[in-house]
Amino acid sequence: MPSSAGSGTLGDGPAAGRGRRCGRGARVLDLVREAVEAARRAGADYADARVVREETESITVRNQEMEGIDRASSEGIGIRVLTGGRWGFAATARLEEPEIARTAELAVRIARAAARLPGEPVRLAEVEPVTGTWRSPMQEDPFEVPLERKVSLLVEATRRMQAVRGLAFAEASADLFRRRTWLATSEGTAVDQTVVHSGAGIEATALGDGELQRRSYPNSFRGHIAAAGWEHVERLGLIEEAERTATEAVELLSAPECPSEVTTLVLDSGQVELQVHESIGHPLELDRVLGMEESYAGSSFVRPEDRGRLRYVSPLVSIPGGLGTFAWDDEGVPATRVPLIVDGIFVDFLSSRETASVLGLSSTGAMRADGWQHLPLIRMTNINLEPREGTLAEIIADTKDGVFMATNRSWSIDDKRVNFQFGCEIAWRIRNGRLAELYRNPTYTGITTELWGSCDAVGGREDWTLWGTPNCGKGEPSQVARVGHGVPPARFRNVRIGVRG
Amino acid sequence: MPGAFGPEEVRRVAEAALDLPGADGVEVLLMHEWGGLTRFAGSRIHQSTWLENTAVRVRVVRGGRIGVAATNAFTPEGARAAAQSALEMASVVSPDPLYPGLAPPQPVPEAIGLDEETAGCTPERRAEGVAELVGRCGRELSAAGAFETLASEVALANSEGQFCWAPLTRASLATVVTGPEGGSGFAEAVARRVGEIDPGAVGRRAADKAERSRRPEPIEPGRYTVVLEPAAVATLVGFLGWLGFGGREYVEGRSCLSGRAGEQVAAPQISIYDDGTSPQTIGLPFDFEGTPKRRVDLIERGVFRDAVYDRRTAKQAGTQSTGHALPPPNPEGPFPLNLFLAPGEASVEQMIAATERGLLVTRFHYTNVVHPTRSVITGMTRDGTFLIERGEVARPVRNLRFTQSILEALANTLAVGRETELASEFFLSASRVPALHVEGFAFTGASDH
Repeated sequence: MPSSAGSGTLGDGPAAGRGRRCGRGARVLDLVREAVEAARRAGADYADARVVREETESITVRNQEMEGIDRASSEGIGIRVLTGGRWGFAATARLEEPEIARTAELAVRIARAAARLPGEPVRLAEVEPVTGTWRSPMQEDPFEVPLERKVSLLVEATRRMQAVRGLAFAEASADLFRRRTWLATSEGTAVDQTVVHSGAGIEATALGDGELQRRSYPNSFRGHIAAAGWEHVERLGLIEEAERTATEAVELLSAPECPSEVTTLVLDSGQVELQVHESIGHPLELDRVLGMEESYAGSSFVRPEDRGRLRYVSPLVSIPGGLGTFAWDDEGVPATRVPLIVDGIFVDFLSSRETASVLGLSSTGAMRADGWQHLPLIRMTNINLEPREGTLAEIIADTKDGVFMATNRSWSIDDKRVNFQFGCEIAWRIRNGRLAELYRNPTYTGITTELWGSCDAVGGREDWTLWGTPNCGKGEPSQVARVGHGVPPARFRNVRIGVRG
Repeated sequence: MPGAFGPEEVRRVAEAALDLPGADGVEVLLMHEWGGLTRFAGSRIHQSTWLENTAVRVRVVRGGRIGVAATNAFTPEGARAAAQSALEMASVVSPDPLYPGLAPPQPVPEAIGLDEETAGCTPERRAEGVAELVGRCGRELSAAGAFETLASEVALANSEGQFCWAPLTRASLATVVTGPEGGSGFAEAVARRVGEIDPGAVGRRAADKAERSRRPEPIEPGRYTVVLEPAAVATLVGFLGWLGFGGREYVEGRSCLSGRAGEQVAAPQISIYDDGTSPQTIGLPFDFEGTPKRRVDLIERGVFRDAVYDRRTAKQAGTQSTGHALPPPNPEGPFPLNLFLAPGEASVEQMIAATERGLLVTRFHYTNVVHPTRSVITGMTRDGTFLIERGEVARPVRNLRFTQSILEALANTLAVGRETELASEFFLSASRVPALHVEGFAFTGASDH
C-alpha cells in the first residue's frame, strides 16, 4: 500500500463518461489486434496490447455538506513486446492508428535498448490462448443510479453521526469504478472483460486537547468496496451504524492510552485483512521473491526453495466477488483458485508467465496493470484466509485476558516483510471473556512468521468478510491495484502491543 | 517523441469548456505528460516503459454549487463533455458556504522551462546510463533501480480570465545495490535536467555503501543520537508537510501545528519554507487554481509561522491564498509541494565526529503515521545503517524500526548539514533538504537483516 500523502499530479483517471474515442467492443478488439500486428511487424517476437477504458465517480460528504464530487474517465492503449528476450512497453492516450503504430515501434525500440546489459532472456510459461467476453456480476449499475439518491444516502449518514454530541467531523463517501479491458496477444488470445466496483463508508472524527480520534465503518479508508453494483452500498447499513460509529469516536477522546505489554491479541476481520495483505500477500509475490522489486517496495523473506517447507499459517484460497475478481489476468491467463498456504505450510507463490517459467511452474494468473498506461505486474487477486470456526464473540468469550483491536489506522512493514507495526482505530481490554475498558491509539508490532505462528484461533464463516483494498501500491512508475481479502477475525498469542516512541 | 502542445493549443482546448452555458464559473486544468522509465534489477534491465498521457479536469460552479469532471481526451470535445458532466453534478449538490470564487487574472512568475534533452531522452540513453551505473558495482554486487525522464506541460484557464501555462521536466536515477553478505546501499539523483545526472557517481555511492554494510550485526533498539542523511530527512520533512503545514488541517485543529503560530516548535537551527518558484526544486510557478507561487516561510529559526493555503482555506482563515491548491475537488485541502529545509554549516563528517555513540541512517522505508496531532510516525531504516562509536563509523547494523515524533526530532536537532539534496517521490513535488544530527531518536524494534 502507498505510505504517504496523495500526489499533486492530475492523474489520468477521472471521467466525463462521454466523448469516448473508441467505438464499440468488436471494433476495439480489432484495434488491439492491429496493435499486436504492428508490434510484430516492428520486430516483436511476442506482443500483447490492451485498450482500457476506465470510469470513476467519487462523492464525499462532510457534516451534511458536499465536500467533493467528481467523475473521471481515461482511455488509451498499452503495448507490451518481447524482442530478443527483453521486454519493452509503450502506452499512449492517442488512439489514432498512426499513433498506435508509432507506439508499437517504440515498444520494440525500448526492448532492444534493454539488451545494452547482458542477462538471461525472458521466457514465458505456456498458456492456452483464450477468447471470450466477461462482466463482473452486479444487480444495479452504480453509474446509472441517480446522483441525488447517492448523495442523499451519504448526507443522511452524516446527519445521524452529527447527532452525537462532541463530534467534530462526520464524513461519508462513495466510490464507483468501472474498467473495461480489451486484450489481444500474438498467441491468439482476444478477450473483452468489464469489472465494476462499488463501495462506501462513513468516518467520524472527534478532536480535543491535541488528540484526534477517528472511527470508521464498515472499514477505514473509504469503507467497504466490492465487485458489485449499488446494491452492495445499500446493504452496508451506513445509516444504521452512524450513531454507534460517532459515539465510539467521541468516547475514544477520553479513553486511556493502549498499555505497553505482551499479551493475547484478537483482531477484527478488517485488521486481519491488512495483516494478510502486508505479511502474506506481498511476501508471496514471485517478482518480489526474485528481486525484481528490490529497488522500490523491496523483496521478500520467502525464498523459492521454501515451497512445501516453510511453516507460515492457515490455508488460503481464492473466491469470487472481490476487487481481485476477474476472468483473465492481463496476460490472458484464466483466473484460478490457488492454495498458497496449506495447513500452515507455504506451497505456492503468486506468479506471472515470466516468473513462473523461472521456477518451471505455470502462471497463477496474477498479472494486472493499473490501467492502459502501465505494464502488468504480479498483483494480489483475492488473498483469503479460509474460515475455521467460531464467531468473533465466541473468540472473545474464549479469551481470558487480552486486547481486542479493530479497524486499521496505520501500517508499516520492512522491505523483506519481516518486521511490521500496525495501528488500529480502537481497542478494548478482554477480561474473562468479556470486553472491558476502551483504549485509544492501539498499536501492535512483531515479526511476520512469529505472529502467524502464534495464531491459535481463526473465526468461522459467520464473521468472514471479503474486503477490498483499493490502494495497493507497487512498481516503478508507481501503480495502484485494487485487490481483495476474504478474512475472518483471528487471535494471536504473546504479541507486543502499545508501541511508543 | 512528442513535444509540448504549447499555450495556444492548450488554450483552444480549454476554451471549449470555458463558455459553457448555464455556468457561473468554469475552471479548466490541463496536463500533458510524457516520458520513459528504464527499470533494472539483478544488474539487468527488466522493465522499461514509455507513456504519453493527457488530462483535462473541469470545475464548474453554479449558484455556489460545484461539480468536477475529468477526462484524458485532450480535445475541445472532451473538455466540453467534461464541463457538461460537471455542470450536471453541480445541479444536484448543496452549495459550498466557503466557496471563494475562481482566481482573478494575475501574472505568475516565469516558468523555468522545458529541458529539451530531458523531454526527448531516448531509451538508448537511459539504458546507457544504467550500464554506466552497473559498471561501477563490483562483480559480487547486484544493482536494482530506475532511471526516469519525464516532461509535462500544465495549464490553468478560468472564466475570470486567468490563464497560465508552464512546462516542466524531471530526471531521476535511484538505485539499491546489494551484496552477497547482507550488504545493501542506496543512492539517488534527482534534477530538472537529465544532463545533471551522473549515473557513475550514483552507482559508486550505492556500491560503496553496499560494500561497507556487509555482515550487518544486530543492535538493541532504544534512543540513539542519529546522523540522518538527506534521503531520511526528506521523509521527515515530507510527513511534516502532510501533518503540519496543510491549511485545511491547520484551521480545523487537525494539524500537529494547529494553534501554535509564533511558538518555538523546533531547534533554532531549523528553518523550513516552501518555494515552487525556486530553480533549486522541481515545481510550477502557479498552483492548480491559477494562484501564483511564491516563497512561504513555515518555520523560521525554529518558530512556526503559518500554514499554506488555497483560496477556500484562506477564506476560512481570513487570509490570502499562498498558492498551494491541489487539483479539485480535493477534500484534503492545500499542500506544500516544494519544501526546503534550509542548510546549516556542518558536514556529515563533522556530525559523525561529534557523536560518541549513535547511528548513521541512509534512508527510511515504508513510513506511516501513528499519531497525526503528535506528528508521530513509524518506519524502518534501509540500505545502509551504521553504528557510530567515539566519533567514527564503527560497523554496519541490521535495520531498526523507529517510532518518533517529527517535531520532537526537529527540536532535538544538534546540527544541520551544509549540503542539500533534492528528493522527489511524485512528479510535481520535490523537497530539498540537508543531513541532520539529532539526539534521542526513538528506535522501537529490529528486523533480521
